[in-house]
Amino acid sequence: MIEVKNLVKDYYGNVAVNGLSFTVEAGEIVGFLGPNGAGKSTTMNIITGYISATEGHAIVNGYDVFDEPEKAKKSIGYLPEQPPLYLEMMVKEYLMFVAELKKVKKSERASMIADIMELTKIADVSGRLIKHLSKGYRQRVGLAAAIVGYPEILILDEPTVGLDPNQIIEIRELIKSLSKKHTILLSSHIMQEVDAVCDKIIIINRGELVAYDTPANIAKVMEESRELIVTVKGGEPQVRTAIDAIGGIKEIKYLTVGDKVIIKIKMQENVDVREAVSFALMDIRCPVLDMRLHEVSLEEIFLNLTGANKEAE
Amino acid sequence: MGAIYKKELKSYFTSMIGCVFLAILLIIISIYFFVVNLLNMVADFSTALNAITFVVVLLIPIITMRIIAEENRQKTDQLLLTAPVSVTKIVIGKYLALITLYGIAMLVLCVYPLIMTMYGEAQLAQSYSSIFGFFLMGGAYISIGLFISSLTESQVIAAVISFVVMIFTYLMSSLAQLLPSDHFSVCIIMCMIALILAVIVHMMLRSAYLTAGVAVLGVAASIIVYLVKPSLYDGLIVNIMSWFSVVARFSSFSLGIMDISSLVYYLSVMFVFVFFTILKIKKKRWS
Repeated sequence: MIEVKNLVKDYYGNVAVNGLSFTVEAGEIVGFLGPNGAGKSTTMNIITGYISATEGHAIVNGYDVFDEPEKAKKSIGYLPEQPPLYLEMMVKEYLMFVAELKKVKKSERASMIADIMELTKIADVSGRLIKHLSKGYRQRVGLAAAIVGYPEILILDEPTVGLDPNQIIEIRELIKSLSKKHTILLSSHIMQEVDAVCDKIIIINRGELVAYDTPANIAKVMEESRELIVTVKGGEPQVRTAIDAIGGIKEIKYLTVGDKVIIKIKMQENVDVREAVSFALMDIRCPVLDMRLHEVSLEEIFLNLTGANKEAE
Repeated sequence: MGAIYKKELKSYFTSMIGCVFLAILLIIISIYFFVVNLLNMVADFSTALNAITFVVVLLIPIITMRIIAEENRQKTDQLLLTAPVSVTKIVIGKYLALITLYGIAMLVLCVYPLIMTMYGEAQLAQSYSSIFGFFLMGGAYISIGLFISSLTESQVIAAVISFVVMIFTYLMSSLAQLLPSDHFSVCIIMCMIALILAVIVHMMLRSAYLTAGVAVLGVAASIIVYLVKPSLYDGLIVNIMSWFSVVARFSSFSLGIMDISSLVYYLSVMFVFVFFTILKIKKKRWS
């Protein structure tokens, strides 16, 4: 479990994180989403004890990272933005070092590392120097290092950056399989990724929490912005009278282009006016050329939420 | 701690730096040993060691420059600082690895006095005491290099600064003789030292009040002493400068004296700079 309370990080007047609070329950995969410079990495660095917070608390598995750092750090596996690899070491040597650093018992080290290399699919490069590995392999070695010692909590900062599409799918599968035993907090600026793996999403912008909910709920929040776009052949006044007679419409816009009218309808919650619109237009003998429901993707929600924030300022 | 110690020591030998360091150090010492002790038949190894203290000054930065700077640059400090190991243990592990590397050379040196016994009676006690002193001196310089390496992300900058600082401490006692010693000049030098201290405090802590406090108090104290009791300034600069002269303390060991004050001096230098390194790394987390 990760508990972040009122976290503030101030770099000499440059506030990277501003009063952030959230809780990640045991066993959840939570996606941490935000544009570049939103404070994702800073927050993760604070939770893992790499840097300190100006204010607030980060509590990991019941231990405050600032008061009892060694106990808190013991239950965290961290993959930073740039995997912390010793380039002049061999993969296996590196993982053995990490295991010793994380105080894994000597008798368990070899078998644990063999398992982890199997899991992250790096067993075939175990004897190679890290500096000779490609970006994708390095990323996986970093991930393997985070898993070493099987900590209860994994914190992964953009785990799929620099990987090719196949590897991205593999890593996602891996993260999903890890979530059975671990609590995972992963950051990304790619919506689909978070959408594909996470139980919950935290969206932050400029160091502040914008939204924290399940992907479905976040979509629901924005459902009112769901739009029905209808293109009709006919005159605007005629169409107007026909459509205005229908109930369940929240907001409507008309746009005349040549002999066509484009109608943008925002519907009320739990109402589907498509049939009614279609019948109404049939009655006045105006053919419907195109009708589509514009569902809002998480991407747009994300843009919307973070963009709306900017406008507010 | 053990993991970091082993990793560092191993990396010195896989990256050749350790081998090169040991080779150069031992070759130069051996040449001096050969010329001074064997050719000129001086039965005291300390004479050779005394002549080559500058080699330590030249070579120590080679092994200390990367020790923390490289971790900072490659961001591998993220691994170490987020692992369940305290900063103190990390720094001590690294320091012990450096000391071990240097100690290997000292162990080899321990054979040299025995070689002399093959040709006659050697002054063994004096020779071994000077090797011990040489070890302590190296340990002190290594702690300074360790601290300087923690200040930067660049190995080159770390090496250059370490080199300058070490040369400075090496030449300190001779430089001290050149400075004016009348009371007024000493007062001005003391004021300057206070200001430099204030700048250092500012760089370390970035607190305007503290910086101003150190500067004002330091300057005021210097002037008050000058006005009230100028006799305190007699020989003060030379004394202060000799505190920083790491090499000067070696001479008592090379005379075969197990000088407690020198021993304490070296141990304090080691402690202070290892402690500074720990503070520096901890402080980085707070900025």
